[in-house]
Amino acid sequence: MAELSMSRREASTLRLRRAGNWRVSPWLYLAPAILTLVVWIYWPLLDAVRLSFFQWNMLPTSPQKFVGWENYARILALPKFWQALRNTGLYVLGLLPLAVLVPLALAIYTHDLPARSRNIYRAIIFVPMIIAPVVAAAVWRWLLDPGYGMVNTGITWLGFDPVKFLTDPKVAIWTVIVITGWKLIGFSTLILSAANANINPSLVEAARMDGASKWEIIRDVRLPLLSSSILFLVMMTILLGAQWSFTYINVLTGGGPLGATTNIYYLLWDFGFSSMSVGWSSASAVILFLGFGAIAFFLFKLIDRYSFHDN
Amino acid sequence: MTTEVIEAARPAVRRLRRKAGEGIGLNSAAGHLVMVLLSLFCLFPVYWMVVTSLRPANAIFETSLWPTALSLDNYAYALNAIPIVRMLLNTLVISVVVTVIQLMTGLLAAYAFARWRFPFDKLIYAGVALTWLVPFQVVMIPNYLLVAQLGLLDSLTALILPHFASALAILLLAQSMRSFPREVIEAARMDGARSWRILWEVMTPNLRGTIASLAILIFISTWNEYFWPLLLSRTAENSVVQIGIQMFMTSEGNAWGPLMAASTMASLPILVVYIVLQRQVVQSFMKSGIR
Repeated sequence: MAELSMSRREASTLRLRRAGNWRVSPWLYLAPAILTLVVWIYWPLLDAVRLSFFQWNMLPTSPQKFVGWENYARILALPKFWQALRNTGLYVLGLLPLAVLVPLALAIYTHDLPARSRNIYRAIIFVPMIIAPVVAAAVWRWLLDPGYGMVNTGITWLGFDPVKFLTDPKVAIWTVIVITGWKLIGFSTLILSAANANINPSLVEAARMDGASKWEIIRDVRLPLLSSSILFLVMMTILLGAQWSFTYINVLTGGGPLGATTNIYYLLWDFGFSSMSVGWSSASAVILFLGFGAIAFFLFKLIDRYSFHDN
Repeated sequence: MTTEVIEAARPAVRRLRRKAGEGIGLNSAAGHLVMVLLSLFCLFPVYWMVVTSLRPANAIFETSLWPTALSLDNYAYALNAIPIVRMLLNTLVISVVVTVIQLMTGLLAAYAFARWRFPFDKLIYAGVALTWLVPFQVVMIPNYLLVAQLGLLDSLTALILPHFASALAILLLAQSMRSFPREVIEAARMDGARSWRILWEVMTPNLRGTIASLAILIFISTWNEYFWPLLLSRTAENSVVQIGIQMFMTSEGNAWGPLMAASTMASLPILVVYIVLQRQVVQSFMKSGIR
C-alpha cells in the first residue's frame, strides 16, 4: 500500500515534469538549429525580397534607393537574362541523360554481374563524386587544353582539328555539362543499382514464367518499380543541376564566351559581385526562387503519385 | 488436359530458356566491358592529375601513360607559390569544426522532433526541410552583408557560421531517432533519467552508424566547398585550399605541373579517407541520396 502511494507520487511528479517539458524543453533543444537556419536562410530570404525593390551598389556609405518594380522590369527586358534562363534549361536537359538515362541503362544492364566485381566498379565510379569541384575543374582544364591536353592530343592523333572546348561559344556549354555529368554519373548509377537490386527477384521470376521477354521484364516490371528512384534523380537534376555547374563555370569559362555558359545562378553572382548591382541580383534571386519553388512543388506531387510502387 | 501439358512442360521450358540465357556468359562480358569503360572515364582524370604532378618540368607535355621519370619539383614549386600547408590546415580545422557542430545541433534538434509533440512541430519540421530548396545564390548577398557587418570578412569564423546547422543532419538524425524503440526511452525515463541524459547516454550511442556516415558526408562536403569561401576570401592565409587552387589557376595560368601538384595535395586527405573507409563513404552518400 505504501509502495503504491509512493509510485503514485512519483508518477505525479513525473507528469508535472513532463508538463514542464511540453513547454520549454523541445524549444531549448531546437534553439541552436532554428537560430542558425533563421539567421542564415529565412531572414536573408526576406531581405533578398526587400533588396529587390531597391537600387544599391553594396557600399555601406551609399544610400539604398527605393525603385519599386523597376529592377524586375529592367531584368526582364535584358537579353542576358533570357539567355541565362535558356542556358539553365540547356544545362538541365544536357545533364538528364548523363545523370539519369545512362546510369539507368547501366544499372539495369549490369545487375547480373558478380557481386565481387560490382563492388570494385562501384568503388571506382564513385571517385568523381568525392573530388572537389575546383580540383575537377583544374584537371579537366588540363585535359582539355587546346595545345597539349590529353583529349586534344587524341583528337589530332585521329586526324581531326583540335577542339576549343572552353573558348568556342557553341561547344563550351556542353563541355561544362559533361564535366558536371562526370561528377554525377557514378553516384546516379549506384543509386539506381541499389534500387534495382532491391527489386524482389520473385517478381522478375514470375514475369519470366509468364513468358515475358527480357525487354518486357524491363519495361513492365523493373522500370515501374524503379520509377520513384528515377523521379528522385530527375528532381535532383532539375533543381540542382544548373547549380552544380557553378564552380566549373566560375573557374573554367567565367560565364563566357559571350555569356554562352552563363546560367541563372551564375548571373545572380555576376550581378551581385561583378556588377555590384544588389537590386538586380536580388530581383533575379526572387524570380529564381519562385520558379524553383513551383517546379519543386510539381515534382513532389509527381513523386507522391508514383511512390506507392515502392512497397 | 492441354493446360496440364503446358504446366508439365513449364519447368522444361524454363530450363531451356535458362540455357539460352547462358549467352549470359557473353552478356556479362559486355557488361564488364561497359563498366570498365565507365570506370576509365571516371578514374582517368584523377590518375592523370597524379601522373602529371609527378613528371619533371621538362616532361610535362609527354603523353606516356605513366611518368618515365619521377620528380617532386612540381610540389616544391606549388608549396612556394601559395601557402598551401596553411590553407590545408585551415580547411582541416573548418571541416572538423563544422562536422562536430553540425552533428551537435542536428542531434539536439532531431531529439526534440523525435521525443516530443509540441505546438507547430510539423510546421517547424517542414521549415527545416524546405531550407533544402533555397539555393545558396538566392541568399548570398544578405549573408555577405551580415558577415561584413560583423566585421568577419576574410576570417575562418565566417566560413563556419552559416554551417552551424543543416537540414540534412537534422532530418537524417530525426528519422533514425524515430525508429528508435520507444520502450527503451520510457524505461530510461522511469529510471529517472532526464531528457538530456537520455539523449547522450541512450540515444546517441545507439545512433553510431548514422552519426558516422553523416560525419563523413559533412566533412567531405565542407572540405570541397567553394562558393562561400569565394565570396569571403581576400588573403590566401585566411582561406581554404579550394580557393588556393583557384588563385593559383588565375595567377600561374598554365603551369600545369605545379597546378596538378596543388590539386593532388588538396585531394589527398579526402582520397585517403575514401581509400580507408570506402564502403562507409559510398554508403553514407547513398543514404542521404535515397533519403
